[in-house]
Amino acid sequence: MSNSSVINASFLNLSYDDGTTEIIKDANFTINKGDFVFITGPSGSGKSTLLKALYGKLKPFNGDLLVGGLDMNDISKKDLQKLRQNLGIIFQDYKLINEWNVEKNVALPLIIAGYSKDIQNTQAKRLLSHVKLLDHIHKMPLELSGGEQQRVGVARALSKNPFLILADEPTGNLDEYSSNVIWDLMENACEQLNTTVVVVTHKIPSVFTIPYRHLIIENRGIYEIH
Amino acid sequence: MKFIKNHITFILPLMAILIGLEFYFVFERTTKSYEDGLKNDYSMLIIAHDKVEIEELQKLNTHIATIEEVQKDGIVDEISKGLKESSKENLSKLLPYFYNTKLDTYLSMEDIVNIKADLEKSNKIKSVETFDNSHDSTYKLFVFLKFIFKIFILFIGVVSFFLILKQMEVWSLTHRERMNIMEIFGAPLFLRSAVMYRIAIIDAVISSILISLVFVYLKYNWVDSSGIEILVKNRELIFQFSDLLKMLGISMLIVIASVYLVVSNLKDES
Repeated sequence: MSNSSVINASFLNLSYDDGTTEIIKDANFTINKGDFVFITGPSGSGKSTLLKALYGKLKPFNGDLLVGGLDMNDISKKDLQKLRQNLGIIFQDYKLINEWNVEKNVALPLIIAGYSKDIQNTQAKRLLSHVKLLDHIHKMPLELSGGEQQRVGVARALSKNPFLILADEPTGNLDEYSSNVIWDLMENACEQLNTTVVVVTHKIPSVFTIPYRHLIIENRGIYEIH
Repeated sequence: MKFIKNHITFILPLMAILIGLEFYFVFERTTKSYEDGLKNDYSMLIIAHDKVEIEELQKLNTHIATIEEVQKDGIVDEISKGLKESSKENLSKLLPYFYNTKLDTYLSMEDIVNIKADLEKSNKIKSVETFDNSHDSTYKLFVFLKFIFKIFILFIGVVSFFLILKQMEVWSLTHRERMNIMEIFGAPLFLRSAVMYRIAIIDAVISSILISLVFVYLKYNWVDSSGIEILVKNRELIFQFSDLLKMLGISMLIVIASVYLVVSNLKDES
């Protein structure tokens, strides 16, 4: 693994049911700091499964997977918590805490990391202003539209300046306006903060303006398209 | 509304357990007081050839608490009316010694028979009168009432415990999603479960205070109008400040154990 690599997979095998359902087989790829990577593939090809492995929800069945220099095969509970605290994760179904208001949802990574209330509030306001939701700061997630909820999800992912953003179909169900806001934010994070971004999606957006890499999952293998 | 409902569904079974517990405390104190009354009213009569000291009797059986010699003069006067003074003296010499004996606690008839047997082993003691009939029936009624009450409290406790288990299932569903999301973002277990512990501890405090208020009301307002003599006499035993502390301690234990079970269950699932 080179100094600049953030993710390194070597002969990676991912499977469910203790190996009986093989999802990814012998995959080799490296993602470096500041890369913007799209991972595409047909439905059920294992895109979301790969993402789960990247944030430690699923252990590799075989092979090596390093994320942020940590071996995901035998990562300790404490290290996994630390790793996750430094990731920004965006889900297709938003995964917002419905009992918390928008501000608290955005501040979740800061709450977990033990930042002061002042920092939580300032950062939440700054990010909600970026995603154009400052007016909704005290609303509950279920009072927002799908596009607005996803923008809250993106603001949450960016709130602790993560070194790696993992996004699972972030614009899957969204209107064009919300989709554009989200792509803009992720482009900015990558370009201005040198954050690594990995996006799992069906289709690469046409509005994309910065250079990116494209990995495709096909027949259980992962290949790069140049 | 949902927030209030969530609290009430936990507070009510907790209150049922605490009410049972407080009833138990009150019952234990009043029956102890009643038991002391019975114990003080009860005495055995020891008839001895010679004078005996309490230490000698306590060596024979440790339940002996006090002895009081019945003065012979009164007995002699009563049975020697019309006799000469010399005959009275002879009679007095012939009479054995009588002792009213009290015990340290309220015992069963079986224990009293054992005490009698122990005492009668002494050469100094001629016989022991235990007045068993009245003692035995009172004791049996007393033990029966205590038993029934304990069964009743146990029943309340079991039913309430099942209600708490039910509420724990609701908690699992309510908090599962939030805890899973927090876990994905790297929150340690204590932070994920902090909300539940906070709610549970608040509920424990509220329940303990509510039950205390109910018993304070009973103590200062209801007892007099109830006309129940044993309660009026023992008003001080109905609620004591230490009961609030005991209820707080026990309700804390219950809620912490409940939350721990929910959290462990969710941890296993994730």
